[in-house]
Amino acid sequence: MGARARAWLEERVPLADVVDALRHKRVPHHRYSVWYYFGGMTLFLFGIQVGTGALLLLYYRPSATEAYESVQFIVTRVPFGWLVRSIHAWSSNLMVGCAVAHLFSVLFLHAYRRPRELTWVTGLILLLLTLAFGFTGYLLPWNQISFFATRVGTDIAASVPGVGHGLVRFLRGGNDVTGATLTRLFGFHVAILPAIATALVGLHLLLVQRHGMSVPPSVERDAAGSPGTVRSIPFLPHFILRDLFAWTATLAALAALSTFYPQELGIKADPFAPAPAGIRPEWYFLWAFEALKHVPATIAGINGEFVAVAVMGTGAAAALALPFLVPQTPTGHRVLVWLGVAALAFMGGMTALALTGGAP
Amino acid sequence: MTGTVRRTGPAPFDMLRASRAGRGTTRTRRVSVLAAAVFVLFAVHARAQTPADTAAAAFKDDVHAAAGLTCVACHTSGVAGAYAAPARTSVAPLCARCHSDAAFMRRFDPQVRIDQFLQYQTSTHGRRMAAGETRVATCTDCHSAHGVRRVTDPRSPVAPLNVTMTCARCHGDPVRMKAFGREATPPADWAASVHAAALLKRGDTSAPTCAACHGSHGATPPGVTAVANVCAQCHLREAELFRASPKKAIFDALGEAECLVCHRNHRIEPPSDARVGLQAGAVCADCHDDSGESAMTIKQVRLDLDRLSAAVSDADALLARAEQAGRPVDEGRLALQAAREHQVQSRALVHAFAVAPFSKTAEEGLGAARRAREAGDAAMREWRVRRTGLGVATLLVLGFLATLWFTIRRLPDPPPG
Repeated sequence: MGARARAWLEERVPLADVVDALRHKRVPHHRYSVWYYFGGMTLFLFGIQVGTGALLLLYYRPSATEAYESVQFIVTRVPFGWLVRSIHAWSSNLMVGCAVAHLFSVLFLHAYRRPRELTWVTGLILLLLTLAFGFTGYLLPWNQISFFATRVGTDIAASVPGVGHGLVRFLRGGNDVTGATLTRLFGFHVAILPAIATALVGLHLLLVQRHGMSVPPSVERDAAGSPGTVRSIPFLPHFILRDLFAWTATLAALAALSTFYPQELGIKADPFAPAPAGIRPEWYFLWAFEALKHVPATIAGINGEFVAVAVMGTGAAAALALPFLVPQTPTGHRVLVWLGVAALAFMGGMTALALTGGAP
Repeated sequence: MTGTVRRTGPAPFDMLRASRAGRGTTRTRRVSVLAAAVFVLFAVHARAQTPADTAAAAFKDDVHAAAGLTCVACHTSGVAGAYAAPARTSVAPLCARCHSDAAFMRRFDPQVRIDQFLQYQTSTHGRRMAAGETRVATCTDCHSAHGVRRVTDPRSPVAPLNVTMTCARCHGDPVRMKAFGREATPPADWAASVHAAALLKRGDTSAPTCAACHGSHGATPPGVTAVANVCAQCHLREAELFRASPKKAIFDALGEAECLVCHRNHRIEPPSDARVGLQAGAVCADCHDDSGESAMTIKQVRLDLDRLSAAVSDADALLARAEQAGRPVDEGRLALQAAREHQVQSRALVHAFAVAPFSKTAEEGLGAARRAREAGDAAMREWRVRRTGLGVATLLVLGFLATLWFTIRRLPDPPPG
């Protein structure tokens, strides 16, 4: 019976060669292999986001008059609504954390090298999309803190010369943060960004499968002289079980965080109220938020905020083109590692400064 | 009283001064000292200021100057540059020439009042001044002479935040008051009152100051029979209850000044449930002993007040715990709000001096507090269920993780790739 069903299915959905390829697929196994799992954890959290986001969509209403009340309804009246919303919010935070860990592990282990340049580029765009998901989702509960944080956040775009004001109007759907902004960011959050992200995730995974996992140069050097001695394990079941372990641990952490530290809703946004004290964006934007506060009003006669935004934009562009810019030599790798450490230290320092008070 | 007044006041007014001056930091103090030094240097070299210069400078910012009046409007007998100050007894009539003239005043403000001089003549200040006692206050003592501002201007000495200090310049000065056989304590007593706290700490400019109870231009101490009417201007509900209560006739017969018997006059303390009862410190115990029907009423009222207060506190603490646990308890908060409103109403109903209306409201408050507590209990119950559920789920997940771990460990060594 089972054999007949399999044959029936195989005739209509021919996947035997794919399964066979997975059976024979092998994954490098060395002292750094633990970092391989962060990509899978990020993908797992993306799946959680899609699932919980779809559930929230059943009740959420994207308008200034109903958004806050609908989220309030979700967390107070809908069975397990509090858990779904809390998991969605915590999962987004963990997803950013895992994606950043994945990015820096790829950077420090030099996994962006030829022929994986496009895997790096798609991965970095996916990280930027994850941040965009965070930014667009932050306003959706329409509470006081998110309202004013979005106002501050979208204001930054105004410092781009020439198109700045147009960009702000595009992001806000008007001159100020209003119900139109909420509807617009909702559209980005649930339709446009997921469509792009899903396509890019597919491409990213395809590239990962085609190229296989990268082996760090140091591990390659250790195995030099005896090709083929880098140890590897079968994808099925050795690697997939380890992946499952990481996913389960992530799920346990997510459930504990969501239950013990549920996301607060705060008070409803009032556009006419004065900005409350302690406005701050999500933790992953804190470093940029704090850095902008320390930038002088003018630098060499140029608007300071513009210079800062230009530097950050150049940094992002350089990061995108990183595989093409870094010389594939031990010195080039060493310089890149130090640059990565410096970037991490800067972001960590600025975040710590913002959390401990920071500039007024 | 004379035109020159001491700039010092009673110690409690330091709070008022601090609230007006704002908090001075060390840096601002240093800047102030530097600024003062620079000012002194300039002043040494500057031409000595005559009283006429000072008056002219102050008049530039005067409401009369803004209306187009000049020096000769008041200094009617002077010649340019040599104006004599009007006699203190003639200041009020001088001001009244315009301020009692409806047709004239209407040109500046169609709704302006013109009865100030009439009221002043009925005031203690006005009557003594008319009798030739020039040390009492006249218009310029409170409003100033050359820098007169509207009452609505916060810089005016009679603006709500400033008026008590203006009165205290004389009424808080023991030397001045001794000459009239009066105590200089009222301003300090007021500064320690619930009314002062409302004005100075909460910034409620509708809180009563001296003029609210004594009148401004017609300032005079309210008589025994007038006190309740004065308090009733704000405390309407309490006054209505008191007038309908048996206490009214008793106090009238005793010649007691109603509200003041329990609340005193200037140093009116914040209301507290502890003031009701027969124990030490309670105002009821000043007249009542622990016997008779009235003692039963007092005890019952106090008991209900305490029960309500405890129920509200308990429910509040429980709801706060539920909120800290991340549970929304909006319905509980609404019920607690209702309980608090009933608590306020029941405290007002103490002035009925009877059990009946009070107990009904107190019971309603207790019911609302009970509903708030039930909402808190339900939220905490749900929280406990969640924790238990999470504990079970975590155990299952940990079991699964352990199984995975052992499965991975027991996997056969992979063949070399």
